[in-house]
Amino acid sequence: MKRKQYGIGSGGAFAWYFQRITGLILIITLLLHYLYLHFLNGGNVTFQEVTQRLSTPLWKTIDLVFLVSVVYHAMQGILMVVNDYVHRPAVRSTLVATVWVLGMVLTITGVVTIVTFTAA
Amino acid sequence: MAVRKFKIFRFNPENDSKPSYKTYEVECLPGWTILDALNEIKWFQDGTLTYRRSCRHGICGSCAMQVNGLNGLACELQLAPYKKDPIVVDPLPGFEVHKDLVVNMEPFYEALKRVKPWLINEDAPPQRERYQSPEEFLELDNSIACILCAACTSSCPSFWADSNYLGPAALLKAFRYEFDSRDKGFEERREVLDNKHGLWRCHKIINCFHACPKGLNPTGAISKLQQKVVTEKW
Ligand code: SF4
Ligand code: FES
Repeated sequence: MKRKQYGIGSGGAFAWYFQRITGLILIITLLLHYLYLHFLNGGNVTFQEVTQRLSTPLWKTIDLVFLVSVVYHAMQGILMVVNDYVHRPAVRSTLVATVWVLGMVLTITGVVTIVTFTAA
Repeated sequence: MAVRKFKIFRFNPENDSKPSYKTYEVECLPGWTILDALNEIKWFQDGTLTYRRSCRHGICGSCAMQVNGLNGLACELQLAPYKKDPIVVDPLPGFEVHKDLVVNMEPFYEALKRVKPWLINEDAPPQRERYQSPEEFLELDNSIACILCAACTSSCPSFWADSNYLGPAALLKAFRYEFDSRDKGFEERREVLDNKHGLWRCHKIINCFHACPKGLNPTGAISKLQQKVVTEKW
């Protein structure tokens, strides 16, 4: 009875739903990012301007939301592929763990950078 | 009368080390279907050719196979639209081949059983029937017409990659009961639906919708089930 293993790792509704939500957020934040940098800002992408912008609380908030959404969305994308194709439990858990650790590391370094950034 | 060529997948695991194709020439009458041609081959040319068929009316679902790369019912597929020879006939992909065009359907039935394909309602039966209004019936979007031929599940790349995935046919069946106004089985079905091998394996590839010989929409049904599971949860 090899097929009996469908019970483990059940659930997945949250990951699925939140990936859709972060997808929507990404459409908004990416558009915002693109429009601002290339049009509203008049193409003025200089070191000065970027550091100025990254020091304001509004942009810090936008970039934090952007960061969390991007990492979660991408992570879920990779986990989706793992769930689709990798069925050997040991390989699966290794890959899943790697993706989570990578996601954590990326999020933490990103958050630290954004929060502590000042235009000194 | 026109002579048509058929290139047919042949494999007998007892004798053959690997599958091969064999080409047959058949004198076909106007109006014939793929199944008519297969019968002609089996009855008059090569009795060893093996395939399933029963009703030859598109209702038993036993003759599903792949013709020129697309799944369908051999008894429903007319020869006329296939302009080029040879017409290539393969067994349903994604299943183990027993012999020639006959595949092992057990995984398909097992997935079906997992979604508890029956009416679940513990309420005391009413005096007469459990009434369903015409509007409530329309909610089911004709999903009751499924003949369990497996053309959809066999066309699904998610199923090819994960043989424990419920697949479009079983999920359509789950939809058929979950969206039936008389059914109260959600709690019993939730675990197999909200599952790594359940609803979340569907990536909306829509092969199932194109494969279904009955014009049903398993992809749409899966979307509605996903919405239901998410809304019931939060
Ligand atoms: S949904 Fe269509 S293709 Fe799938 S098993 Fe039912 S009748 Fe066959
Ligand atoms: S023989 Fe019954 S569906 Fe084709």
